[in-house]
Amino acid sequence: MREGFRKELKDLKATVLAIGHDIVDVTRDAVRSLVEGDVDLAERVIEGDSDIDARCLGVEERSLEIIATQFPVARDLRLLHSLSYIAMHFERMGDLGVNIAKAARRTAGRQGPQTLYDLIQAQGNLVQRVLQAMLEALEKNDLETSRKLQELDEPIDHLFKQFFRELARLQEEEDIEWGSSMVLASRYLERIADHAVDIGERITYMVTGQFASCEDDEA
Amino acid sequence: MSEALDCPSPGVPSADGEVKITVRDLDFHYGDFHALTGISCDIKARSVTAFIGPSGCGKSTFLRCLNRMNDLIPGTRVDGTVLLDGQDVYGPGVDPVDLRRRVGMIFQQPNPFPMSIYDNVAYGPRLHGVKKRSELDDIVRMSLERANLWKEVKDILDRGGLTLSGGQQQRLCIARVLAVQPDVLLMDEPCSAIDPTSVQKIEDLMAELKSSVTIIIVTHNMQQAARVSDETAFFLQEQAGEPAILVEFGRTAEIFTSPKDKRTEDYITGRFG
Repeated sequence: MREGFRKELKDLKATVLAIGHDIVDVTRDAVRSLVEGDVDLAERVIEGDSDIDARCLGVEERSLEIIATQFPVARDLRLLHSLSYIAMHFERMGDLGVNIAKAARRTAGRQGPQTLYDLIQAQGNLVQRVLQAMLEALEKNDLETSRKLQELDEPIDHLFKQFFRELARLQEEEDIEWGSSMVLASRYLERIADHAVDIGERITYMVTGQFASCEDDEA
Repeated sequence: MSEALDCPSPGVPSADGEVKITVRDLDFHYGDFHALTGISCDIKARSVTAFIGPSGCGKSTFLRCLNRMNDLIPGTRVDGTVLLDGQDVYGPGVDPVDLRRRVGMIFQQPNPFPMSIYDNVAYGPRLHGVKKRSELDDIVRMSLERANLWKEVKDILDRGGLTLSGGQQQRLCIARVLAVQPDVLLMDEPCSAIDPTSVQKIEDLMAELKSSVTIIIVTHNMQQAARVSDETAFFLQEQAGEPAILVEFGRTAEIFTSPKDKRTEDYITGRFG
């Protein structure tokens, strides 16, 4: 019953899940480096990205090898294709984490209004919640959880909009420069959550074979 | 030719999705053994339909129901309806020999007659009354060209068909069937006894022929079913001794990515069978 092949699929999924857990850590550390002005932590996030990139590429390569040699079909094919796709999302989410860490490096040493720090932290916490739910849905092929991701994403978008409103109150030029970096970081967090929502749609396809309609996440 | 089965010539263009063969509630018995039950499906004209399923699931039996080849086995019984272009192939007045001209068959083992390449191809047309040499020459050439064999054999037409390689023999058999201008080509594991290069040639040939002929192929090779067919039918005998059923029939691309029935998914992903 193709035991070796089944194990390959299981191992590849475990690899993707492990990368996903690292993305959770990267996102958490990037936000912390920004809020706490921790340049060392920001550097570690930036340096760690090449490892994530290599592992994501590895998933794509292994997936192609399995497709070429094992001729997977139906749910096995959907799983392999989806794992590659999810790994591609993780690679981009890792890059967004790096962008946040770079914002931390730029803003370290300058103190802006506490309200904005609080907003970024709150947004970071909500993103953690989406990422955890996405990983749970992936691990358990849980359609209910994957469908909830959109809902979990909504307050993150609201916080991003609130961030803009707060930004408009800044007066000093120095604050405005600082604020621009912060708003970009907020935008990166919002994008990370969008990737998680896309992954949720992919999980739905992986399990059911039906494509869920993708919301316009650029809006 | 029997009037009941008179139909347009092959190759006449028609609307997409035209049904060539309609099967309704077909049951088949070998004596006391109930082999197939409740089979209903529509085979689209000028397309390739693959029948897949584990050994003994009745796919070859069903294939043979379509041109009444099972009539040749004593004690068999067919219930239900098989319509070819809307006409009942089991209806009164249908000449099974003429039916088999219209619905030709290719077998697993190439079976050229022990005669020359030319005579193999000319055999059917001669049987149907073509006597003029120039007309036979044209039919032989055209049939061998359609079977992608002409270039390889045009200078050795008087050589015995059995001297050809296995893959060439199979294409010779295809040319022999094409010589009588069938509407439908039934292929019962046509590639399982030939080398990979010849398999490729026959798969290419199927893709070319389907513009004029409706092809149904029984294959154990699921990659082949996925490669060559437009639609796929999955047959299954769920319990020993029970009749086989048609579990799922649909677009090949869908069957191999998102089958609707869990039994289909379990079979094609190698979880049983």
